[in-house]
Amino acid sequence: MPQVLFTLHNGTVMSVAAATGHSVMEAARNNGVPGIVAECGGAAMCATCHVYVDPKWLGKIAAMSDFEDELLEGTGSPRMETSRLSCQIPIDDGLDGLEVTVPPSQY
Amino acid sequence: MSVGSPTLVRASRAPVYEVDIYSDEVIRDPYPHYRRIRALGAAVWLPLNGLWAIGRHADVRAVLADHVNFRSGHGVSGNSAANKIAPGNLLASDPPLHDHLRRIVAAPLSPRSLAMVKERIEETADALVDRLVQRSSFDGMADLAQYLPVSIVSELVGMPEHGRENMLRWASAVFDMLGGDNERAAAAMPIIMEMRAYTANEATRDKVRPGGWVAMLYDAADQGVIRPEQVQVLMRDYLGPSLDTTIFATGHLMYLLGQNPDQWQMLRDDPTLIPNAINEAVRLESPIRGFTRYAAADRHVGDTLIPSGDRALILYASANRDERRWERPDTFDVKRILTDHVGFGHGIHSCAGMQLARLEIRSIVTAMTKQVKSIQVGEPTLAMNNVLRGYERLPMTFLAA
Repeated sequence: MPQVLFTLHNGTVMSVAAATGHSVMEAARNNGVPGIVAECGGAAMCATCHVYVDPKWLGKIAAMSDFEDELLEGTGSPRMETSRLSCQIPIDDGLDGLEVTVPPSQY
Repeated sequence: MSVGSPTLVRASRAPVYEVDIYSDEVIRDPYPHYRRIRALGAAVWLPLNGLWAIGRHADVRAVLADHVNFRSGHGVSGNSAANKIAPGNLLASDPPLHDHLRRIVAAPLSPRSLAMVKERIEETADALVDRLVQRSSFDGMADLAQYLPVSIVSELVGMPEHGRENMLRWASAVFDMLGGDNERAAAAMPIIMEMRAYTANEATRDKVRPGGWVAMLYDAADQGVIRPEQVQVLMRDYLGPSLDTTIFATGHLMYLLGQNPDQWQMLRDDPTLIPNAINEAVRLESPIRGFTRYAAADRHVGDTLIPSGDRALILYASANRDERRWERPDTFDVKRILTDHVGFGHGIHSCAGMQLARLEIRSIVTAMTKQVKSIQVGEPTLAMNNVLRGYERLPMTFLAA
């Protein structure tokens, strides 16, 4: 299974195995990655699964919808160029080794 | 519904549960009924309500995720009269209208928007708990659970004063109308009409609080983002759900913490568990028991066919105790992993105000972990409502840390 690397707020890196077809949010949730709240359960409704994607991976992940774009305007931690909602990033084999950083807070 | 209607014929081979799901008996103690519904099947016909009940966790999640076939645009009530007057607001809408309205209604409810009121809510919660600790006893509902919603949220909504005073009464009536066609719904109807007259005649641009959520709706109309007549309709998306649901969730958490002192001690030892404890209370005692969806096509739930045109009652409060999904489903466990509970719904209609609700409750419980050693609760009095589950009164005492 592809591995996703989460850099936590304290600098720790957690590497988790992610099933193809799951989202990065689900991979985080299923493996107990702290800091990915995902209150709406992946419906792109709550902006609490915000992550910063390592720039070298940005071009390889699914494009952002207008709706995600708007939700990112409401994130608890500042939006940056690399901001995405992890529930909107489906995992495939091409994303093995994907690196994302968990923001300090989702609120 | 007349005997021999297509629905009844088709339902004849489906599991049937002959209990009025909106009766006093079920409202007082719904969980044994939900267990029976789950045991009977994935989709169970309720002949007394003319509804299909969906009670298992996996099916509830699947139906809520399938907003194309299980629609909200024909209303989400169990009451056909209510469904006739409801559509047009966010709760009772389908994409693309829904997505458009959601952006507008949810704008002040995003984490970033709430960051502006966070400090005030936290300070108010600290001061509230400080006062309650000094009292020998208090009502956990009127004195505690209602405080932040009534003092701060109603101001954020920004209705003129008379509206703020009536919001609790109106909201309760709105939720009675979102359930069955019974005496509670009949009694709620004139109150709903009073609310509608108020939104039309009194919550006018010049009277609402500038910068408040309702004022933002008027701004959206000015900018041409919504039509002027939609301001009225969307106002109701704030009036209905912004207070009672949070109040009841708070009351449930208080009662559960009072009943489970070991769990309270865990929160005192590790306040980072508080957000999870909130989810656990909302799972175990879901403030909104269920809304309905309209089947826009013939769809199977499990092996039962829900015919196009029928209506399904999605029982969040049942899914959240489904023994197929949860170990020890009736136990309050603040360390439980529960990101897929449906207490805030699921899918595109998931609760727009959940961040605010959680902020309010988190602020109170955080203040309590600093000031309260133990929580004593007495026997709660249940509020009788067709859709909501919560307490009217909850005797409580805080022992100071």
